[in-house]
Amino acid sequence: MPSATALRLQIEHALERRFPAALTPTPRTIRDCAATGIPAVDKLLDGGFPVGAISEITGPASSGRTSLALSFLAQRSQEERVCAWVDADDTFDPESAAAGGMDLQKLLWIRCRTTSGPANTNSLAHLEQALRATDLLLQAGGFGALVLDLAAAPPENGYRIPLTTWFRFRQAADRTRCSLLVLARSPLAQSSAAVVLECAPACSATRSQTVLTGYSYQLRSGRQRFAPTISGERKPPASTWAASASWEREKRA
Amino acid sequence: MGSLRILGKRETRMKPESNPQLYACVHAPEFPLQALRRLRPELHSEALAILEGRPPIETVCSLNTHALKKGTTRGMTRLEAESIDGLRLLARSEECESAARSIFLESAANFSPRMEASCHGTSRSCILDITGTVRLFGPPEMLAERLRTALAAAGFRVSIAVSANFHAARLKAAASRGITVIPPAQEAASLARLPIALLDLAPDHAETFATWGIQTLGALAALPPVELIARLGVHAEELHHLACGSLSHTFQPIEAEFSLKEFMDFETPVDQSDSLLFVAARMIDCLVARASARALSLASLEMHMMLAGGQQYRRIVRPAIPATDRKFLLKLLQLEIAAHPPQAPVQSLTLTAEAGQSSQMQLGLFAPQMPEPSRLDVTIARLKAIAGEDRVGSPVLEDTHRPGSFRMENFSIAGHAAQHAHTASTPCAAPSTQRMVLRRMRPPVPVRVELQAMKPVAFRENERCFKITAAYGPWKTSGNWWSTDGWNAEEWDILAESTDGASIACLLVNSTESDNAEATLHYNLTNWQLEAIYD
Repeated sequence: MPSATALRLQIEHALERRFPAALTPTPRTIRDCAATGIPAVDKLLDGGFPVGAISEITGPASSGRTSLALSFLAQRSQEERVCAWVDADDTFDPESAAAGGMDLQKLLWIRCRTTSGPANTNSLAHLEQALRATDLLLQAGGFGALVLDLAAAPPENGYRIPLTTWFRFRQAADRTRCSLLVLARSPLAQSSAAVVLECAPACSATRSQTVLTGYSYQLRSGRQRFAPTISGERKPPASTWAASASWEREKRA
Repeated sequence: MGSLRILGKRETRMKPESNPQLYACVHAPEFPLQALRRLRPELHSEALAILEGRPPIETVCSLNTHALKKGTTRGMTRLEAESIDGLRLLARSEECESAARSIFLESAANFSPRMEASCHGTSRSCILDITGTVRLFGPPEMLAERLRTALAAAGFRVSIAVSANFHAARLKAAASRGITVIPPAQEAASLARLPIALLDLAPDHAETFATWGIQTLGALAALPPVELIARLGVHAEELHHLACGSLSHTFQPIEAEFSLKEFMDFETPVDQSDSLLFVAARMIDCLVARASARALSLASLEMHMMLAGGQQYRRIVRPAIPATDRKFLLKLLQLEIAAHPPQAPVQSLTLTAEAGQSSQMQLGLFAPQMPEPSRLDVTIARLKAIAGEDRVGSPVLEDTHRPGSFRMENFSIAGHAAQHAHTASTPCAAPSTQRMVLRRMRPPVPVRVELQAMKPVAFRENERCFKITAAYGPWKTSGNWWSTDGWNAEEWDILAESTDGASIACLLVNSTESDNAEATLHYNLTNWQLEAIYD
């Protein structure tokens, strides 16, 4: 009776022309990842966002994209790394960031310029500025995390970004060991993205009838390129997490 | 006896070495021309003449050998000089000469701290007291060679003479080219063939010597001193000693001022930044070389331009850490000029640098990766060119209760390494729970709000209608009522659903004051604004 190894070799040999190494799992590189500081998200992503890769956080308004990205930046700044926020539509709020634990001294904020003209033309100009700024920062290197905030940009403008741009960003992020987070309404980077998270608003975590105390969000992993596949274990396809209002902590204290 | 011998040895050691006095004179002829030509190497092969005086009464005050060969002479008028083919005329620049003079003295001061400057006509001289420098720079010939090389690197062509007598060195350097070292007690022989015109003679003395047929210093030295004094007076004794190379001198040292400044006056106004940067590159080279000679770097670089029409242009470039990389500094300059171009052609350019400690940083083996400071400077300058000067940096929260107030500061990582060492043991406390984050609308979006019992129940933003499911507020905020930038608003935290089923959490602001509350009972069309969205 042939052993299992011999049998496997025999099958692989027979299928070699069509499927090389059909029954031998391909070796996977263990990617370094950085925690987001949100246990539910870290569990969903097997540790956090990958280092040196593009991660996309997508969803509509009030779906927790910005909170998630800022939580990740706050964690990176706690590790004494410098971060950058490329703000295509100038919507970043430093007060919220500081309340979330972000060290603002370690944050380089690029507010894309407001130009006069039609709204759609402005949006495209902002998008172009944001892409150029991201390119420069990735090429410069040394940043632990970089957020490209296109969350307020119309999706049709985002679809105009050529795939070659995302490919270049992916190469640069890999070379400089920078985690590039892209905030958008829908996935844009396609195959260049290592992780795609789809966010959605869930409900308000109201404990009081007079004060907004928090909000909970749904999260679904749309794509995880470097996730190890372990037979017999099915990962939860979605998760939920909650964020509290900044005054909630003061109340507890 | 033994103790006496030891004492004798100690006395011998304690006795100071008796070094013979030694002077090196550095003579820079045609200094107005050299000052202008120093930063423009392309002019070295041209026939040049420098004009001074007010137009139209301008005369040639300095010229080079090529111009001499073409028949140019000192004192020639502009009209006469312009008639000579191939002669290039430049205007004398006092500022350029002043900058060149300080560089000339500073370069020489690297070889001896004791020096005396002298000026004769259009020539500049610097006499160094090089007594006791043999161990530092070798024999006088070697020192003179190194001195000449250093000055050539700074853009000066000089002649150098070394002598034990101050005046002998000065006269020999003025009359000869290259390097001359006068052996001890050979001063008279060395000066013998020099023309008597080198001495600063009074007109009547010059006439007398011409009558006597005295044309060289050797002939003057051969005259009997007593009879010479009897005929020409007491001053003749000084002249005789000068000719013999034996006149004593009380050294009056000056201190060379260290200022990193370069000046260039353009013949015609320059309107292209490339041309400007070409000149600036040479100036930066000189500044870097001078700073490096003192183990310093350039901490800041100030550009000052005089523009056509009398305007002035002033910009300062500050690298994150002091730098000596010429390409890097030039790139910063280029980006600064590109971001803020001069509004008129440039007539003159002055670069003034501030010296800083050398740019060496201690890197940690386990320290997190940081952007390379010099590269980050260039990147930020490029980002500012893309997004705007005040739209790139680190946000700093203002000490006020006004919502959304902050200011932008320059992003710098210079202090992060030190801060890392300081905070490594006590890291900042991270919040235990996640926070809701606002996305600010800049500017806020006006919305139409429907009210019921003074509480918003629905709002419309452009074409989208939202039904409010929960409204928390009003949270009244006001401040600075005593000044023009006061604010008075009420904020509402809103949870709403749009007609297409999308949920939104946002912040609505009503800037209406309480006096107008009656008018806003049902609808307010103008004062409600969508300030931010919770995301």
